Amino acid sequence: MAIYPEPRFLPCGDVAVSVELGEEISREVNARVLALEYLIGQTALAGVTETVPTFRALLVYYDPLVAGYEALCATLGSLVAQARPELLPPARIVELPCCYGGELGFELDAAAAKLGLPPDEVARLHASADYYVFFVGFTPGLPYMTGMPERLTIPRLETPRTNTPPGSVGIGGTQCSVYSVESPGGFWVLGRTPLRLYDPAAPDPILLRAGDHVRFRLIAHAEFDAIAAQVAAGTYRPRIEQGEPRRVARRGERAGEASERIEQGEPRRVARRGERAGEASERSEEGSR
Amino acid sequence: MSRLVIRDAGPFTTVQDLGRPGYLRVGIPPSGPMDREAFILANRLVGNADGAAALESTFSGPRVEFSDERLVAITGADMPVTLDGAAAPRWESFRVRAGGVLRLGAARWGVRCYLAVSGGIDTPPALGSRATYVRGQLGGLGGRTLQKGDALPLGRAGASRPARVTRERVPDYTIEPDVRVVLGPQDDRFTPAGIAAFLEGPYEMLPQSDRMGARFRGPRIEHARGHDIVSDGVALGGIQVIGEGQPIVLLVDRQSTGGYTKSATVCSFDIGRVGQVKPGQRLRFRRVTVGEAHAILRSRRQELDTAIE
Repeated sequence: MAIYPEPRFLPCGDVAVSVELGEEISREVNARVLALEYLIGQTALAGVTETVPTFRALLVYYDPLVAGYEALCATLGSLVAQARPELLPPARIVELPCCYGGELGFELDAAAAKLGLPPDEVARLHASADYYVFFVGFTPGLPYMTGMPERLTIPRLETPRTNTPPGSVGIGGTQCSVYSVESPGGFWVLGRTPLRLYDPAAPDPILLRAGDHVRFRLIAHAEFDAIAAQVAAGTYRPRIEQGEPRRVARRGERAGEASERIEQGEPRRVARRGERAGEASERSEEGSR
Repeated sequence: MSRLVIRDAGPFTTVQDLGRPGYLRVGIPPSGPMDREAFILANRLVGNADGAAALESTFSGPRVEFSDERLVAITGADMPVTLDGAAAPRWESFRVRAGGVLRLGAARWGVRCYLAVSGGIDTPPALGSRATYVRGQLGGLGGRTLQKGDALPLGRAGASRPARVTRERVPDYTIEPDVRVVLGPQDDRFTPAGIAAFLEGPYEMLPQSDRMGARFRGPRIEHARGHDIVSDGVALGGIQVIGEGQPIVLLVDRQSTGGYTKSATVCSFDIGRVGQVKPGQRLRFRRVTVGEAHAILRSRRQELDTAIE
């Protein structure tokens, strides 16, 4: 069973509880998690201070002097029953320009050799897919994504790098990710995006949100440099498009088929103080529809 | 303009306030003080709001010079304090004249000390908070630890009189503490013997510990079936047990999610005490229920409210 008949409530100390909704890593379970988080935000549940979605669970931080554990779990349980993915605002489609190969994608050739494909074909395949962001975390702004073409499945590096430049686009196992900060890494670096997934100097430092779709766009080195300069100057506006309303991905359905409509995206909006990160753009776009 | 000038920073001194909640969902930790109670008391001693920004120093304190007269208070780790060369108290506020130099030495007991100044430190907030998150280069002064020559702007100070923390509320950091934990979220992934060993202890604090996590060495916490889980959120105080069966307590600058089993979670009210255990000192984990933890939390809040005379 992909989704548990009843959610599991796992205490995490005195100020948090993990609400686990299913066993497996799937878009179906994850959409429920995001819908639960959305409902909690919409109902402004008393005592809830913060929520953290992951593959199949929502970590709910609370103030026990406002909400007791049993009462909170009972309320969360009733919200789980209502947490249908159809409630969620339409997903965003975020374009990440990516320069493949060369000094920026310094492991493209080696990965291609390992996969038995020409490097250009690896880049083309990688950029042709639609990726879905399960959640963002571990380091600031790091997306956990699904949707990579099966032909790009590759064992992780045997010896992880001690440092990977931010913006590096890597693949390992069946996963693709984009390094948001300089960090060690075990993924093959195919390319680099000039965008910053985490920019501490920006008013809204995080680019990607749980539930987003990501599309990579192949760019040449000259365009990489041009966009990087605009990013540094604070004048670049990432292309963020509005997708179709979410629908539930059936089991076995390939990730990332939900939203195909292309329209001119809203520029990334700055989250107001006190507004929870990640809801700003969705709210504004919902209002503009 | 009123400033606090850093003459010597010490090894790891940062600006902190009560933290930056709401951004764990995008991977940004709350940060804030490791020892929240000591931090709040320092602020209350100088008449500040609990959430005013103050300095946290690890192992050894800074030497600072004041541009105008202020009320100051030092709490937390047991460090020698001098004002213009003469011994000055801890857990008690006192006035520093314009041009006065306050010096905090190396911690004899405890690890983190707090220096609060009336009016608070007025560095620009990032995402609504002045707390420094060094790994993410966010908040504080340029998102980094303080350095010699830094000048921190101070807020306007209200009229406040010196005060002190009652003797019985001053913690004794020489004691190896019992730290309360609630079992879970993955205690079912360990053998009964593993959980028994975990609750028996003791565990020694390792020097690799920092604001992200405290690493310990002690009895092996035996897994029933592997140490990997489907990554989930990591709560404050979450105790990750890695491959060798050794615990890491995740703290205020923690990663938001993780893929290791967590045997238990340190209660919020004992996180500060974990942050005061020196490398080489030991602690024990003591099990409480969620209900017991909430009762303790309530009484600890009341104690905090009656700690200053």
